[in-house]
Amino acid sequence: MGDFVVSLNNIKKVYRLGFSRRRVEAIHGISLEIESGGIFGLLGPNGAGKTTALKILLGIVFPDEGTGSVLGRPLGDRSAHHRLGFLPEQPYFYGFLTAEKALNLYGKFFGMDHDAIKSRSSALLDVAGLRHDSHLTLGKYSKGMLQRFGIAQALLNDPELVIMDEPSSGLDPLGQKEVRDMLLRLRDEGNTIFLSSHQLSEVESICDSVCIINKGRNVTGGPLSLLLAVEGVHRITLEGESPEALGRLEPLSVRVEQAEGITVLDVESAGVYRALDAARELGMGLVSVEPHRRSLEDLFLETTKETSD
Amino acid sequence: MRNVWTLAMTVVRDTARKKIFYVVLLFGLAVVSISPLIPTFELGSQARFLRDISLSLTSLFGVVLAIILSINQVPGDVGKRTIYNILSKPVSRLQYLAGKYLGILITLAIILLVMGLEILILIYARLQVFSPVIFQGVFAVFLESAIIAAFCLGLSTFATVPVNAFATIIFYFICHVKTGFLHGKLIDEASGGLVKIVSWVFYYIIPNLENFNLSEQVGYAGGVPWPFLARISGYAFLFVALFLVVGYLVFRVKDL
Repeated sequence: MGDFVVSLNNIKKVYRLGFSRRRVEAIHGISLEIESGGIFGLLGPNGAGKTTALKILLGIVFPDEGTGSVLGRPLGDRSAHHRLGFLPEQPYFYGFLTAEKALNLYGKFFGMDHDAIKSRSSALLDVAGLRHDSHLTLGKYSKGMLQRFGIAQALLNDPELVIMDEPSSGLDPLGQKEVRDMLLRLRDEGNTIFLSSHQLSEVESICDSVCIINKGRNVTGGPLSLLLAVEGVHRITLEGESPEALGRLEPLSVRVEQAEGITVLDVESAGVYRALDAARELGMGLVSVEPHRRSLEDLFLETTKETSD
Repeated sequence: MRNVWTLAMTVVRDTARKKIFYVVLLFGLAVVSISPLIPTFELGSQARFLRDISLSLTSLFGVVLAIILSINQVPGDVGKRTIYNILSKPVSRLQYLAGKYLGILITLAIILLVMGLEILILIYARLQVFSPVIFQGVFAVFLESAIIAAFCLGLSTFATVPVNAFATIIFYFICHVKTGFLHGKLIDEASGGLVKIVSWVFYYIIPNLENFNLSEQVGYAGGVPWPFLARISGYAFLFVALFLVVGYLVFRVKDL
């Protein structure tokens, strides 16, 4: 139990809604294990059970079945929360507090003394770009400012594990890049980041491993490099394009594309040398040869479609 | 304890922001406006009458305030999702509920204290009679409001705001009228066994809020002995604890 920063074992959750206690099955048996020091992405379409899974980790929702741990403590154990930071989706804060006062409030919950809260808050407000707006009440903040404040408060206690639900939600492209850079910096400092996101390009660019869930069940998961690699296929990128090259390379490839003076061909790994020989004979320059990776979007659509059918 | 105090202060700040403290101005205005209605008795009788009617008004304000302050604390935080940012910190649900209740109590204490001072000043200004005994009555109103707040806050962990408001108002009236009615059923020879059992249960599990109505003693009899105030404080504490424990037991396992 203590080997993983986060572990969930066959978690099930049914909500009972309304006066008639109608059953809504949110999670049918999700399991996942996250090792220390990386960025982990939890992906899934709307209603897949991502937010419920995060709430279970935080003790905000209780599972009906299954076990799990957070930072070596059983689910629901508040002592783990001293070493944990959380950014909820579309975060809401007491609108009558200024950013400084809100950070002061949250810092007290962590048992931080006044000086520690002040210095940490000051640094985080700078990082979040809210220094000049720290005297405004949070009720006057825009959506993007609230999101940046949410990230600041999630890092207040210098957490070992940061759980983020849609960290880039509401941010402009520049803000999104700043968040990505900040997450990578946190990872490099040895922290573990667990994020749930719809932004597949963001996840693909920063996550070390992912878990895709759909309809409350695990679909696939593991290190991103392994998940995205297409077994037995390499991608060759060549300089030059011509109908003659296309005609010669097509029989040797799974797929060939030419555009803007570049030819890209996907070939079975066993046929890489044969394709390279043909390219040399055609006088085409070699740009790269690499194991073929599909995009995370392709993987996501493929796997969630399979389980939705 | 630090978490409880921090949350309590947040409730007080929020109350200040919502300008609920302005109710003391409204109360002052109400007391001033009724003072000309005092019959022209002798001086002592006028002071007693004014103490009585002011305390009744304080009780009304206290109960309404207790409901306003308590009814949306938990549902408001859940609805606006501000609770996630609190419970994801090292704050237990017990600390959360206790902090909210303590904040309500502090707010009630501040408002009722100012109301008591207003009555004191008004009686002195109008009749040149110094009546510190009024604070015994205000303290009893505080205890009554504390029970109502605990009931309302406990209920708010699982009831919707309209249901809670309706239930708390009904609860308040039952707690005031139950004594005579239920006691009558208990001692009435003609009552059947079931009626007696039900009467007995309700007689003892529902607080008797008439215990906190000191209008007569403070208004006309010069106050109550201190042991009496200690006794009703203990009585109030028991019911506050009961309602908060029930609320916590529901809230402890509630999905948010």
